[in-house]
Amino acid sequence: MKNFRIALAATALLSVAAPFAAQAQSTYDDTQQLIAQIQSDKRAVVLKAMALDDAQMTAFTPIYDKYQADRKLLMQRGVDLINAYSSNYDSMTDAAAKGLLKDWFKLQEDELALVQGTAKKLDKVLPTARVLRFVQVENKLNTLLRLPGIQGIPLAK
Amino acid sequence: MKIASLAVALTVAAFPVMTHAQAAPATQSVKTDEQIILKQVMTDKRSVYAQNLQLTDAESRAFWPVYDEYEGKAKKLNDEFLKLVDDYAAKFGSMTDADATAMLKTKMRIEKDREALKQTYTGKVAKVLPPVKALRYAQIETRLDNMIRREVYSLIPLAQ
Repeated sequence: MKNFRIALAATALLSVAAPFAAQAQSTYDDTQQLIAQIQSDKRAVVLKAMALDDAQMTAFTPIYDKYQADRKLLMQRGVDLINAYSSNYDSMTDAAAKGLLKDWFKLQEDELALVQGTAKKLDKVLPTARVLRFVQVENKLNTLLRLPGIQGIPLAK
Repeated sequence: MKIASLAVALTVAAFPVMTHAQAAPATQSVKTDEQIILKQVMTDKRSVYAQNLQLTDAESRAFWPVYDEYEGKAKKLNDEFLKLVDDYAAKFGSMTDADATAMLKTKMRIEKDREALKQTYTGKVAKVLPPVKALRYAQIETRLDNMIRREVYSLIPLAQ
């Protein structure tokens, strides 16, 4: 059920970020609140899914919380990118399209680097099979989180 | 509806992976089945682009060679990933730290290569199509990639 709640929150985040479907006015506070909700739900899912013993949990949580703080910044960049896309949608210039593509790829690069960097840190304090599990859990959840953002946004015209 | 049929094909493609993974002692490779299905996925994917990019004749002549080159290179990464899943399935339940380290390293390298490939070829697409169509291409690729990931990740059990 936690996964379902995260997906719902991610959909709500999209409606705040991009007025395509909901015509909602984007507000910084709403966005921050939804990001915080998604992260809180996600943290609970990850801690349970990792199935760590007490010593492993003590080593894992500070690294994970730093990871979450960095990911929050990336989520905000994603929201900003959707808002920029939305603003340009009806009159997309070549320059705007190029800028959006560049920012999107940079965001993808930074997300990948964050997961890989965190996995390296975790590898120093956990058995590698648990690190592999962390990467699998993150991949599953992040794919789920991206879905509303990817499928709910109309293609460029 | 091409995207829906693509999702079904992907689910079928990923299903033997789970069967294989759950039956840890099984040694028979499912790679051939996966390759057949992936070929079907690639064919469907091509028609998704054809329908959604709305290319002129001149754009088509410039775009498809770039697309085919990209898919050829993406297929190599897909094959590597399928091999990794086969290895994971074979070692599931008795994975050593050395196995996990090697698999994690391979997985991360494939992810980086995939991202670099996408960026390189979106750049090439942007040289032969107007930037707005290149953006549309990147959006479609991202949607399809996410669908593939969702199906595959949902069927692979977590490391123990």
